[in-house]
Amino acid sequence: MRLSSGRIAEVGDGLRGPREMDAEGLHLFPGFVDVHAHWRAPGREDEEDIQSGSAAAAAGGFTSVVMMPNTDPIVDRPVVVSGLVRRLERESRVRAHVSAALHVGLAGERLTEMRLLKQAGAFCVSDDGLGTASAGVLRNGMLYARSAGLPVILHCEDHTLATGVVHDGLAASLAGLPGSPASAEDTATATALILAAETGAKVHITHVSTALSAALVGFFDGSADVTADTTPHHLTLTEDLVSTLEGLYRVNPPLRPESDRSGVERALREGVLDFVATDHAPHASEEKELPLEEAAPGFLGHEPAFAALYTDFVLGGRLTLGRLIQAMSCAPGRWVGGAGNLTVGAPADLTLVDLSEEWTVGRGTLASRSSNSPYVGRTLNGRVVGTIVGGEPVHDRTGVKFGARA
Amino acid sequence: METRSFLTLEDTSSEDLREILDLARAFAEGRIRDALANKTVCLAFFEASTRTAVSFELAARRSGAHVISLSEKGSAISKGESLIDTIVTLDRLGADAIVLRHQAAGAAVLASRHTSAPVINAGDGCGQHPTQALLDLYTLSEALDGFEELQGRRVAIVGDILHSRVARSVIPAFVQAGMDVVLVSPLTLLPPDAGALGLPVLSSVDEAVEWGADVLYMLRLQRERMTGARIPSVAEYARFYGVSRRHLEGGALVMHPGPVNRGVEISGDVVLDDSSLIPDQVAAGVCVRSAVLALSTGAVHRIAA
Repeated sequence: MRLSSGRIAEVGDGLRGPREMDAEGLHLFPGFVDVHAHWRAPGREDEEDIQSGSAAAAAGGFTSVVMMPNTDPIVDRPVVVSGLVRRLERESRVRAHVSAALHVGLAGERLTEMRLLKQAGAFCVSDDGLGTASAGVLRNGMLYARSAGLPVILHCEDHTLATGVVHDGLAASLAGLPGSPASAEDTATATALILAAETGAKVHITHVSTALSAALVGFFDGSADVTADTTPHHLTLTEDLVSTLEGLYRVNPPLRPESDRSGVERALREGVLDFVATDHAPHASEEKELPLEEAAPGFLGHEPAFAALYTDFVLGGRLTLGRLIQAMSCAPGRWVGGAGNLTVGAPADLTLVDLSEEWTVGRGTLASRSSNSPYVGRTLNGRVVGTIVGGEPVHDRTGVKFGARA
Repeated sequence: METRSFLTLEDTSSEDLREILDLARAFAEGRIRDALANKTVCLAFFEASTRTAVSFELAARRSGAHVISLSEKGSAISKGESLIDTIVTLDRLGADAIVLRHQAAGAAVLASRHTSAPVINAGDGCGQHPTQALLDLYTLSEALDGFEELQGRRVAIVGDILHSRVARSVIPAFVQAGMDVVLVSPLTLLPPDAGALGLPVLSSVDEAVEWGADVLYMLRLQRERMTGARIPSVAEYARFYGVSRRHLEGGALVMHPGPVNRGVEISGDVVLDDSSLIPDQVAAGVCVRSAVLALSTGAVHRIAA
C-alpha cells in the first residue's frame, strides 16, 4: 500500500516510496472508529485529557473518535464547541468529532442551538450519560436535529425505572444491591425507535445491552434511519462480576445476565447491531475504589477493545475476523463518513495489528490517565502495534520506525 | 338577498379572489358608499386583536352599518355561556353579519351552523384567517400592479407554520393566485405532513433568497414558542428564520401579518423599510373587509363600477 498526501494512493505489489515500513507478519486494517468516548475535557483533565484520551485511542487502533458532551462545562453552546474543536486540532492524535448536547445542560428541557452548534463544528448531538426523560421533548429534539442536519446519538434509559446501580437480577439480589431492570433500557429504546421512525431523524442508539433492545432495533430495520452499537464489555462480561462488590464493575447500562449478553452477541454477528463502540469512560481512582453503590459508573474502553473481542469471539470461533473489522472499522467509519475502508483515495487511517501477540492488560499498558479497565489483569491475544492517521504514525510499537527503508 | 359566510379560503377560486379584490379596490377608491346602510354587524372578538378588530369596525361603520362589539370580557361568555348560545342570541337579536374571532379552530364553522346570518371568520385558533389572506393578496396585487402579476411569482412563507392560522389561509390563497410557494421552517414548527401539501421546505431565509423569493412572508413567532421546547433561542431563530437587510438586496418584498416581534422574525431596521409592505397590509384591511362585509351580507353582488 502506498500512501501519499494523507490518503491511500495505491494498493498492490512492488510499490516503492521515500519512506517504507515492513509490516511482515502483521495485519493491516482500516483504522478503528469509536463513536462513543468521554475524554473528560474540558473540566476533568485529572481523569483524562485530549492528549491522553487520544493516545489511548491510538493505542487501541482507533483513528476516529466521537467525544461526548457531558463535560464541565457541558458542550451545549457554540463557543464551547468551537473552543473544543480548536483544541482537538492542536492536541489530538486521532480524528476527534465533537458531539454537542441535544438539550441545554443535558437537562432534557430546552433545545440547544443546534444549527449554530453545527456551524461551530459539532458533528452530532447527544444527551449521553443521562438520556432524555420525556418522549415529547425527545421527539422535538429529533425533529430539530433533523432540521439542523445533525445525527442524534441516544443513550436509552428511563430514569423512572433505572433507580439502581446494577442490573436488577440474581447477582444484585444476592449481593443486596439496588437494581435497575432491563426495562429501563428497553422501554427507552422502544420510545427512541418509534420516534426515530416517525420523525425521520438520523438516530444512533449507543451501548445496547439487552437482548430485547437488540431485537427492537432489528424490528425497525428499514423503517427508521437508525443504527446501533454495543460495547466490548457488554459483549464479553456479565453481571456475575457484581458479586465481587467492587466499584470498578459499576457501569451504565449495567453488566447484564448471560441471556442478554448472548442476545447482544447474536445481534452483532447478524448485523442487527451495526457496530461496536467502547463508551470509553475514565474515572479517577477515588471515584472507583469505593463500595459499588457509591462508585462512578464507567469503564475505560479504547485500549483493550480489539484484543478483548478478538480473544473471546474470533479465537473462540463465534465471530469471523471480517465481521469484527466491519464492526470496528467499516460500519462506524461509514457512520462518521469517509472512514473505515482501504480503497484508493480514502484517508490513510490505518491500524496494524499483531494477531499473535499475547499481552496482559495492566496499569503499565494503558495510555489513559485513569486505570478503570475491567480487563486489567486479563491476558488477551492480538495487539495493536501501529496506528496511522492521515498517513502519519500516531502510535508505533513496531520497532521499525517510519523513515527507515526496509 | 343572497348572503354567504367567509370561513376559509381553501375552496375559493382565483376568479372569486379577483372579484373580491376588485370590489375592495372600488371601496378604496370611494366608488361604493353606504353599502351596509341599515345593516347590523356584530363583531364578536373572543380573543385579543388590534388591527383585525379595528379594521372590521372601521369597514362596517364607514359603510353605514350599525356595529355591535362583543368581547369575552363584559359579555355572557364570561359567565360561561357557550359559543353556540351566544351565536343564537346574536342571530335572534337581528345581526346581519357576525364577525367572529375565537381561540379554537373550527369555531367559525360551528357558529355558521347556528345562525342564518353570514359568519365571517376573523381568525379561529390555529385554523383559518381568510380576511388576512385576502388583504395580503390585495396588498401584493397593488405592489406588483395587478392580480395577474402574481402569477409565477415566488413567495416564501417563513416561521411557525404549525401554529399559524394565517399560514393556513395565505398558502391556498397564494397557490390560487398562481404563485410558487415554499415553506421555510424548522421541522418542530411544521405540520407533520407539510410535504403532502406539495410544497418544498427550505431551511433558512438565506436559502429562500437563493431560491429567488420575490416575497418573504414572515410569520409571527409567539412568545411562548421561544422558550426552548421547539426553538432553542431567539438568537438561532433570528439567524436562520429572521429577515435582515441583506436579504432584501435583490429586491425581495417583506410581508408580515402583525404584530411584529422586532429582532426575532424581522430585524428592526427592515420593518418600515421601502421593501416592507407591512404598513400597506394594515391599510388594506379596511377596504378588503368592507368588500367582504358587502359580499357576505349580499349588499353588493357585483362590482359597482
